[in-house]
Amino acid sequence: MLLQVTGLQTNLQIGEHSIQVVRDLDLHLRAGETLCLVGESGSGKSITALSIMRLLPAIASHPAGRIGLQRNTGERDTGEADDLLTLDETALGKIRGRRMAMIFQEPMSSLNPVFTIGEQIVEALQFCHPDMSWDAARDIAIETLREVQIDDAQDRFDDYPHRLSGGQRQRVMIAMALVCEPDILIADEPTTALDVTVQAEILALIRRLQLERSMAVLFITHDLGVVAQIADRVAVMRDGRIVETGAREDVLFHPAHDYTRQLLAALPENLPADIASPEAGEVLAGVSDLQVHFPRRGGLFRTVRSYVRAVDGVSLQIRRGEIVALVGESGSGKSTLGRALVRLIKPTAGEIHFDGTNVTGFSRRDFHSYRRRMQFVFQDPLSSLNPRLNIQTALCEPMAVHEIGESAEDRVERAARLLEDVQLPREFLWRYPHEFSGGQRQRVGIARALATQPEFIVCDEVTSALDVSVQAELLQLLMNLRLRFNLSLLFITHNISVVEYISDKTAVMHRGKLVEFGDTDSVCGSPAEEYTRQLISAVPRIRAA
Amino acid sequence: MSEPEAGRSGSASQAERASVLQLVFRRRGALIGAGWIGVLVLISVFAPFIANSRPLVMSVEGQLSSPLLQNLSAVDVTLLLAGFLTLVVCVIRLSASVRIAVVGIASLLCFLLCSQLLNPSRLTVHEQYRDASRAGQIEWLVSAPIPWSPKDYLRDFGDTGLQPPLIQSSRVHLMGTEENGADLLSRMVHASRLALGIGIVATGIALGLGVLLGGLMGYFSGWIDMLGMRVVEIFEAVPTLFLLLTFVAFFDRSLYMMMVIIGLTSWPGYARYVRAEFLRLRQLDYVQAAIVAGLPLQSILFRHILPNAAAPVLVAASFGVASAILAEATLSFLGLGLVDDPSWGQMLNQAVQSSTFNWWMALFPGFAIFMTVFSYNLIGESLRDALDPLVAENTAATPGARTASGKA
Repeated sequence: MLLQVTGLQTNLQIGEHSIQVVRDLDLHLRAGETLCLVGESGSGKSITALSIMRLLPAIASHPAGRIGLQRNTGERDTGEADDLLTLDETALGKIRGRRMAMIFQEPMSSLNPVFTIGEQIVEALQFCHPDMSWDAARDIAIETLREVQIDDAQDRFDDYPHRLSGGQRQRVMIAMALVCEPDILIADEPTTALDVTVQAEILALIRRLQLERSMAVLFITHDLGVVAQIADRVAVMRDGRIVETGAREDVLFHPAHDYTRQLLAALPENLPADIASPEAGEVLAGVSDLQVHFPRRGGLFRTVRSYVRAVDGVSLQIRRGEIVALVGESGSGKSTLGRALVRLIKPTAGEIHFDGTNVTGFSRRDFHSYRRRMQFVFQDPLSSLNPRLNIQTALCEPMAVHEIGESAEDRVERAARLLEDVQLPREFLWRYPHEFSGGQRQRVGIARALATQPEFIVCDEVTSALDVSVQAELLQLLMNLRLRFNLSLLFITHNISVVEYISDKTAVMHRGKLVEFGDTDSVCGSPAEEYTRQLISAVPRIRAA
Repeated sequence: MSEPEAGRSGSASQAERASVLQLVFRRRGALIGAGWIGVLVLISVFAPFIANSRPLVMSVEGQLSSPLLQNLSAVDVTLLLAGFLTLVVCVIRLSASVRIAVVGIASLLCFLLCSQLLNPSRLTVHEQYRDASRAGQIEWLVSAPIPWSPKDYLRDFGDTGLQPPLIQSSRVHLMGTEENGADLLSRMVHASRLALGIGIVATGIALGLGVLLGGLMGYFSGWIDMLGMRVVEIFEAVPTLFLLLTFVAFFDRSLYMMMVIIGLTSWPGYARYVRAEFLRLRQLDYVQAAIVAGLPLQSILFRHILPNAAAPVLVAASFGVASAILAEATLSFLGLGLVDDPSWGQMLNQAVQSSTFNWWMALFPGFAIFMTVFSYNLIGESLRDALDPLVAENTAATPGARTASGKA
């Protein structure tokens, strides 16, 4: 047994309170296997990984437990193990990086921007082989870069991190982790920040490297689809405890624990599709040949050097009562299109129509009455609510501006009813945004959008920051609200499973252009375009083997 | 804001504000700083009652009179009223803006009224009461704790001039006397008004200008920002002290001119802070949400952006008060301050004027300047510390984030 964690407990000291974040956790890892630690946010999975690496700050303590790391591997194995919890920093320094390496979620901030990627890999290498010369280290580093499938490894060696894409940076991170040939790789949500197509490549890469090197991988994720792709065994965490462990097939297809069943049932593809779609009406909102270009400035006088074509000639129509999903990878311009539709961003060219009127050139005053009819729900539920205003103010202010409700009392009553519409208690009116959980905040965000009695709402990645179970509730809520208020939605997302669940029509964007637009069933089932096909096949799904 | 929620949201936001104050005053430094400033405020409000040559009450031929009260100036009365109103307003539950408005308007009215009605004697012979007392014309009198006015040069005593504390057996000068023979402690007490006033007014002017211009630059960006930033750079290039020196050389030495000049040259710092905050906040989703909701511009600027941008500016302002006090002290030290009115810096100036080192002229005013500047810095630092973790605490308040410390 390479790694054997028994009865691990981790406490965090926050102010005067000691919070148990990992309780009585047992797990083991054999050489050459991948263990997926899966759970929702706050379940303690990242803390578990950091506990094993002993990377937690001083506020953390381990009152109980043992983390046994096998002392020698392979033939020299004597069955002896070191307890990482009892080792001092010097001893741990010899283990971190050499025996156990870690990669993190954010490839953007994990690399030091002032050193070339080559220098950073060589530094890692010389850390475990202090005598190695620069030239020898360089050769090995380039070899490792090739191994993680960085093209032109020789040239890339001298590049700074900002010249690499997110996926390439994550590859470099993997190269740095692997260069000392560790026995254990701990990967903490390594693909969460990446696009699905890149995620698929990185997952395949980790899988291949693990097989070649017969390395053990502890893979932390919240995404059950990813689990299905990469895991040998799965451990499901909740509230700091492991509620279920087992082989991948057993856990995913014959879950023993209720919580695992709930998690699987909350996946969009497993949600009951019993909410009927209304008949689509006439065209409500749309853009024709819309272009949004952002100038790139440079030089002494900040003159415009070139343009980023975020949206480049898109035409799209949304009918009354319809949910149109807008899918694309990061940087495809889908959010820009959504914002341009409600005139948060000024379009460079093209037209925006609403209810048969061309509103593109409208002044602020002329557009005011349209503001009421089209609303926006933002991705990050925390930053989309003013931290200094309570919910009542956030809901009543737009109503007052648009002269909805006869009096202040009436508006407060309407606000309370809105909260009930999004299934929150009316007492929440008097609370402040920081007193809510992420899912509750997003409900408030939806209530605020509904406050002006709109006909059309743009939902920009509204469920991306949320756990699957919360996402499932929110999707069902949106479907119900759509029917009740006869809303039309433009649902911007990168999650194909959500698209399949919620939308009537799907538009696929790629590099500022609309690639494909049609009924969701046909776009997702039998995509006509090559790009759509790639996108859909890259989505990790749970399928019976 | 609508009516029915005022009570409840008021109490909630008060709780929030109280927690910031609690965080500030949990730090010992802030307590020391606020304590010193509080004592200074009390001293400056009651200065004429603390140090004055005129008796508080006296009886001449059976007639009771109060030369002290009769000779109060408009500023004295206004300060007393403002101090009293501040206390009253703090006890009554009112919103912050109403409080400020009540105190401000009442003080202004009071000042205008008093400057018309009161006519304190311009030329005071301070020693008249002492002479009368010696001559036995006054049956009895109650004098102020420090029976010397700041401009009472003790002409009835022949030995006036720089004298260390407590060397005269006939009279008590706790901090000695200055070059003209006036009691130093009395001058220290009265100078506290100048120190507080110049700091608060100059910073107020700078803050007002900085928030207004910085906010406009940050929110509108583009051309307004371009031009605004050039103006900021021009004003930043003006050296405050040399400008003050120039103005003092050409024009009258006036306290108000000093306040305005210090204010006019120190606003660019605040403007930069506010501009940066507005640029950042303008992109945040809740401001975008306010735009989508069709809220009017003034609500977006003053309700959704400004309160969230206030924290760093307040911190900078408390340091600004300290530097304004120092600027005045420097000017007075160079002998270019107010002519006759007491000022700590001007007292320091006398410490080395005659070839001997007059330690009491250096120690007491020096300590006062040091403590005041230090206090404002302590408060500023505590404010900064208190406002930072509060933001972090609020984000960590969700149950998920609390257990996973932001990750996962």
